[in-house]
Amino acid sequence: MHIPSVIRFVRGLVLAVTAAALPAAAADIVGDEIVVGTVSDLSGPIALLGVPVRDGMLMRFDEANAAGGVHGRRIRLVVEDAGYDPKRAVLAARKLVQRDQAFAFIANMGTPVVMATMPIVLDAGRLHLFPFSPHSATYEPLHPLKFQNFAPYQDYMEAATRHMVRERGYERTCLLYQDDDYGLEVMKGVEKALSGLDRELIERTSYKRGATDLSSQIARLRAARCDFVVLATVVRETVAAMAEARKIGWELDMLVTASGYSAQTHELGGAAVEGLYGVSVLPHPYAEGANGQLAAWIERYRARFNAEPNVWSVMGYTLADLFVRTAEATGPELTVDAFARTLEGMEFSRDYFGSPNYRFTPEDHLGNRHGRLAQIRNGRWELITDYLQ
Amino acid sequence: MSQPIRAGAPTGARVAYTLRSLLPWVLILALAVAMLGADYALGKATLVATYAIAGLGVVIVVGQAGQIALGQAALVALGAYAQAVLVRHGVPAVLALLAGVAAGALGGALASLPARRLGGLYFGMSTLAFALIVEEALVRAEPLTHGSAGMTVAAFSILGWRADTTLAQAAVSLVAFAIAVFGCNRLLRSRHGRAWRAVRDDEVAAAACGIAPAAVKMQAFVVGGALSGLTGALYAHWIGFISPEQFGLVFSFELLMLAFIGGARRLAGAAWGALVIVVIPQAIAILRDLLPGDWARAAGLELVLFGAVIVAVVVLRPSGLAGGGARDGASGQNGA
Repeated sequence: MHIPSVIRFVRGLVLAVTAAALPAAAADIVGDEIVVGTVSDLSGPIALLGVPVRDGMLMRFDEANAAGGVHGRRIRLVVEDAGYDPKRAVLAARKLVQRDQAFAFIANMGTPVVMATMPIVLDAGRLHLFPFSPHSATYEPLHPLKFQNFAPYQDYMEAATRHMVRERGYERTCLLYQDDDYGLEVMKGVEKALSGLDRELIERTSYKRGATDLSSQIARLRAARCDFVVLATVVRETVAAMAEARKIGWELDMLVTASGYSAQTHELGGAAVEGLYGVSVLPHPYAEGANGQLAAWIERYRARFNAEPNVWSVMGYTLADLFVRTAEATGPELTVDAFARTLEGMEFSRDYFGSPNYRFTPEDHLGNRHGRLAQIRNGRWELITDYLQ
Repeated sequence: MSQPIRAGAPTGARVAYTLRSLLPWVLILALAVAMLGADYALGKATLVATYAIAGLGVVIVVGQAGQIALGQAALVALGAYAQAVLVRHGVPAVLALLAGVAAGALGGALASLPARRLGGLYFGMSTLAFALIVEEALVRAEPLTHGSAGMTVAAFSILGWRADTTLAQAAVSLVAFAIAVFGCNRLLRSRHGRAWRAVRDDEVAAAACGIAPAAVKMQAFVVGGALSGLTGALYAHWIGFISPEQFGLVFSFELLMLAFIGGARRLAGAAWGALVIVVIPQAIAILRDLLPGDWARAAGLELVLFGAVIVAVVVLRPSGLAGGGARDGASGQNGA
């Protein structure tokens, strides 16, 4: 190697390492491409969500690019698979910040992943948008670059439980919950609703993520003579809980959070989950009975990915749509700060998916707090209320 | 991956050996900085060094003392939570670090107790049970640990200096790793190291020579636990958020895999194993970006390729990256 080139290499290294000693600078101005990063789960415990969310986002960004991009700029989605592991997520976030120069992070997935990567994203001056985590730290305290649009479990489960108990007059409400932050958030909401109605949570029992046998938990709830059980479960555990109750001849109403509101619940559960109540923060896209726009969207999705869309695909598409519309509204001078200030003034009205209103303000970066009730009837979810306030 | 130097070698030869051993690492780091950018490369270096410290513990317990340890992540968890809780209560991070090491060592001592009655796979199963107990205890001790909701951890700081850049974090981890290697090297060359290897090679013969196998195993677990505790204490700061599920069985198996990939009988194996465990998935992620659309999108692609790399390493270098191509025989028995 030529000596001057060695010196240049060493000088470059020293400069690079010195730069790393300083806090990361914001990637303020974008060029002819907008890079959007996501730290997702494509191979871990919530890959069931990660893959369709990614596909939904890809579809919306591809549509925007096909229409000429956002003010002439193409959007490129870079997906990193952290498999729900915060250690991998930290490295993935650094790659997206430094190597890919991501303008924004969108739909990072899983609380440990979100909590580990959020400081890296914010310190680097990038947008942290709409993560899949119930943690209130995703929107509180107010930070100019972090925004959330998923209704917190605590808020919408409080409204849903209150509505169910008040309307149907249940006397003995109980809770089956996953033993993690998700379950705890739901528990807070249920307890708050019951205390507002001057009632108590009669029994609560937990399970560890991944449990397949819930017979002891169901037996315990039955022994407590519950007449209404709130489920802070995901798909498989929802089916297991309902199937176990039916197996032992226990007929009672159960209400699951939006994590159990999925077509997979009735596809897996069949007759056992008939009558199950659920909370929807975005409706499942059934082809049968779909309005014209939704039917066309479903066809496009099928053609693009050779798969049926589900509620997670709609979520991914919706998040990407919020991004595209905000970037368009920001104008040609797109900067991180300009995007954030524009989003603070945006209101997204209900669309053909049946989404809620998303509204952000300078004082409130949580776009939605509401869910609506649905019930499995004849093998599919049917919406039975509007968004509960 | 140069051959280890024998005890009693002249100082000059030792220095030359040390420099020769460090050279590949300096080159790897320089290349990584040049190709990936300093922040990203130093972020990786931080995790490699931090993992490697726990890897040293596995090398001592598994490679030197010959015990099966399936729950090492629980000891990392004890260190992480001790650090996080103490820092939260205003204890300086450096003092908390010592408590993290102590918590790991104490956990190691507890985990080794069944070794007095059990051996082989049965003892391995008891370490697995220990890990499950620790994880469950961390969930239940909610007032202290915030249970499943997890807890955030502030940046590492010493006397007002905060390690909140990747360079600072890498420096702290590398210094900690260097101290750990120095300490382990001394131990392996001492009578403790000889006792560990004697128990590993033949427990009955070791007992006949006056070595108490149960005490020796406990010593190995205490040292391994202390190193895991140190890893946990640093990990808590670098990741910034800890929850019990992060220290589950997958993490334990990662640490075990790390030692076997790197070479379970050599201290250098911990560093090489950590390099593979941390860097290969990221290298695959970068190469994946070069693949055409549908291939790049395949779910779990990194995992499959990572598995293939691990199988290749195990087949081609059964004694680990630091152990040479053939099975480790007499060479490197002291593991330096």
